[in-house]
Amino acid sequence: MSTTDDRPSADADGPEEPTNRPVPADHFREWVSRPYVRRIIVITVVLTLVIIPMAWLTLHFMNLSGAPASPIMSEIEKTMFVFTVVSAPLMAITLAILLYSIFGWGRVSGDKPPMQESPAIRGNRTATILWISVTSVLAFFLVVWGMIELATISAYSYGATPASDQPNSQKPLVVNVTGQQWVWTFEYPDYQGVTSATLVVPKDRPIYFNVTSKDVVHNFWAVEMGIKIDANPGAVTNTGVTPTKLGTFNIRCAELCGLHHAYMETSMKVVKPDEFDSWIREMGGRRTA
Amino acid sequence: MSTATVHEHVDVPQPPQHGRPGGYLRRASILTGLVGGIGLALVVYWVGSLWLVPWGTTNAVTNLQVGADALWAATFAGWVIGFMAGIGAFAGPIRWALGRDLTHADAEYLAGRDQGKWRYWRYTTDHKVVGVQYLVMTLILFGVGGFLAMLIRTELGVTWAEVFSPDFYNSIIGTHGIVMIIAMIIAITGPLGNFVVPIMIGARDMAFPRLNALSFWLLFAAVPPLIASLFMGGIRDGWSVYQPLSAQAPTGGVGYQITIITFAISTGIASVNLITTTVKMRARGMTWNRVPVFAIGIIASSVMGLIWFPMFQYSQIMSLSDRMISTSFFNPLGGGSVWLYENLFWLLGHPEVYVIVVPATAALMEIVVVFMRKPLFSYKIAVAGFAGIVGISSIVWVHHMYMTGWAPSTNYPFMLSTEMISIPFGFLVLVLLGTIWRGKAWARLPMLAVYAVIWNKVVGGITGVYLSDTPVDQYMHGSMFVVAHFHFMLMGAGLFGAMAAISFWFPKMTARTFDERIGSIGFWTAFIGFQVTFFSMFVAGLQGQPRRVLQFDGAFNVSNWISTIGAYVIGIGMLIFLAAIIVSWRRGPAAPANPWGSKSLEWQVETPVPLENFPVLPVVTSDPYDYGVPDPYEVKEPAEAEDAKVGAP
Repeated sequence: MSTTDDRPSADADGPEEPTNRPVPADHFREWVSRPYVRRIIVITVVLTLVIIPMAWLTLHFMNLSGAPASPIMSEIEKTMFVFTVVSAPLMAITLAILLYSIFGWGRVSGDKPPMQESPAIRGNRTATILWISVTSVLAFFLVVWGMIELATISAYSYGATPASDQPNSQKPLVVNVTGQQWVWTFEYPDYQGVTSATLVVPKDRPIYFNVTSKDVVHNFWAVEMGIKIDANPGAVTNTGVTPTKLGTFNIRCAELCGLHHAYMETSMKVVKPDEFDSWIREMGGRRTA
Repeated sequence: MSTATVHEHVDVPQPPQHGRPGGYLRRASILTGLVGGIGLALVVYWVGSLWLVPWGTTNAVTNLQVGADALWAATFAGWVIGFMAGIGAFAGPIRWALGRDLTHADAEYLAGRDQGKWRYWRYTTDHKVVGVQYLVMTLILFGVGGFLAMLIRTELGVTWAEVFSPDFYNSIIGTHGIVMIIAMIIAITGPLGNFVVPIMIGARDMAFPRLNALSFWLLFAAVPPLIASLFMGGIRDGWSVYQPLSAQAPTGGVGYQITIITFAISTGIASVNLITTTVKMRARGMTWNRVPVFAIGIIASSVMGLIWFPMFQYSQIMSLSDRMISTSFFNPLGGGSVWLYENLFWLLGHPEVYVIVVPATAALMEIVVVFMRKPLFSYKIAVAGFAGIVGISSIVWVHHMYMTGWAPSTNYPFMLSTEMISIPFGFLVLVLLGTIWRGKAWARLPMLAVYAVIWNKVVGGITGVYLSDTPVDQYMHGSMFVVAHFHFMLMGAGLFGAMAAISFWFPKMTARTFDERIGSIGFWTAFIGFQVTFFSMFVAGLQGQPRRVLQFDGAFNVSNWISTIGAYVIGIGMLIFLAAIIVSWRRGPAAPANPWGSKSLEWQVETPVPLENFPVLPVVTSDPYDYGVPDPYEVKEPAEAEDAKVGAP
């Protein structure tokens, strides 16, 4: 009678004795070879390819009222695009399983509970690990992407602060934005208190906004610029943008502010620097700093 | 799955009878409640108008007489207290304080024994009666909210004119919002949590039957101030009633605040009751891994409600005191902060979404197992998903405040937590898909509805991931995209999930068979209308339409027209579904005890369910998901064979 245990120990260096335990790769190959798995994979791939063009469609809708007019908006659209592409496979596999369940694995009808039972699958380690790791990796990717993008657009918004020592054309233009029921007022402190009901800014120069409100919470939304910040009574919030496109753009209030909230909108004109200077002169402004 | 134990008769010692049995408890009903409520409200109004207004100081912001707000707040509070006293909510505690405890006969009378339909109009403690009361209340609230939704879509569809005045439009969006939020919060936990959960876990009633009645009648009392506010200037500030806008609101705003304060008490009581019931009253043998997943979902939802609802309540109490007695919690002129309000509000505001979605998802799981004839894919992962959602949902609220400028640097951690919540949410989708996997579906309305709800949930989930990302939110915040997203979650997952759940448990609750033909027509009409409405609304949001506006740029016309048409289709579908409920309830054929062949406990009791549910309490020997045949594909676990070969023990 042998007293040695001849089973291979876990840390043995030698080749394992052949057993009938399927190695994971074989198991996976067997699983993938099942007809329904193949079909679901095919449907998933097809649906993914169908859903991915939605990313362009999304951008098309976002651009209907005007293409991005600032680097911030371009970054936002890029993020929308990436998110749609990344979530396409998840959406596709969910939809594929639902569709295959309805049309592939068959249905029973009738008034009485079906006599035929389905396979008793209680858990599947591989599927669970796969699902959780894929969703976690995707979520993690999206978080990292989002943080990088947030840092990027924050740099665009706040990177050039008024204090920075730069030539005039690069120095941020400060605009004090005041919301009140139900109009926006824009004040240019650099130009001896020029005030205007529409926002006029020069192209390619950083604009720095000090936003506040006289009464209730408003939200300053320069749509095509991709910036948005609440205008709070009793506090000043900041945002900033460098417009890179000439034209007239929308400013809307995006926070319910009472009776005429719907009409609390104005326009933002991005003009050439020399046109801006002449506009300032027209408004009776004079450079103070 | 369960066996009966031998029932031995035990004489329960009874407290001594004092005077006539029952006393006021036997006379109270909704009629005495109305008399009490209206009576006390009138008295308070009369006394208050003598004293409150002349002493009132003038509010600095609004130039309103503070006294008028205080007067109406007191009147509404008088209504609530008077109604509760009239219906007999305080009779029990008073008797107990006087040393006259309820006899067993009293308790049975209070539970509605031998009172026929009249018991639905009384302070009845039977959990099944409370469940049915909640169901009817939910339907009424959905009716009111849905009607207001039709008005909103009418205004938005008529792009060339103002149908309503801006003030009235703002009132209907606010009222629609809060009525629907209240309806959704109670839609599953109220009717099904109360009716089904105690039977499901093998209990005779809830842990605190009188608190159960209290929670329902508080909800009932909370609604009239909300409706009254529509006629007193309305809630013009959206359902979020941000400060300081709500400080400008006419006196109707007080109705909102009293409603929320009352409703929060009702929710807290109901949550405590449901949690205690499931923790303490489970049948013998129902260990934690055998509790039906629906009960777990209800607990998860209740825990979130219990922890976070008080925040909403505080915010409204503070708003009320800002209005009434010139404190300035939220008034910047007095040193208050609007951000404080926003934080308090969203501390509930976000978990509340999960309060709604989690029980709906848990109900889907109960449905899928029965109609697939398969066990739940993984009980542990489902529970882990619920637990993860409960945990993470408490640290995500700031994503509603990305654009408020409160603390821009917190956008990073809250973006992380918000996107992380998609992982436990993914667990729930995994369990649903895993249970569907390879099953042969019994194609009945509840099952087909599950497919629809999973689709909605995925759309809502993915658009939620967009919004959780701060840069994208910088464009989307406050736009119609947000509106479409949360309707996919609250309506697509919540309401359609509730419709699935109601059509599933309808035979048990009403003892009638649900008319699936009419019900299906209604469900699918509403579903198609829903997709049209809200996909079109996504487009409007992408284009840049702000929410809560009644007139807008011509660029948004087309998507709004499509949305409005879709909304009318939803309206028609919902009316058909409602008709199916009413027709089946009144004239449907009697339902068998277990029409679906379910193995869960609630289907093992007879229909209609008798008072105290079980003649003999069951003993549970397995979880309720014991369906299915061995998997033909299953590779036989080779470990035993191998071990046998090498002679291991």
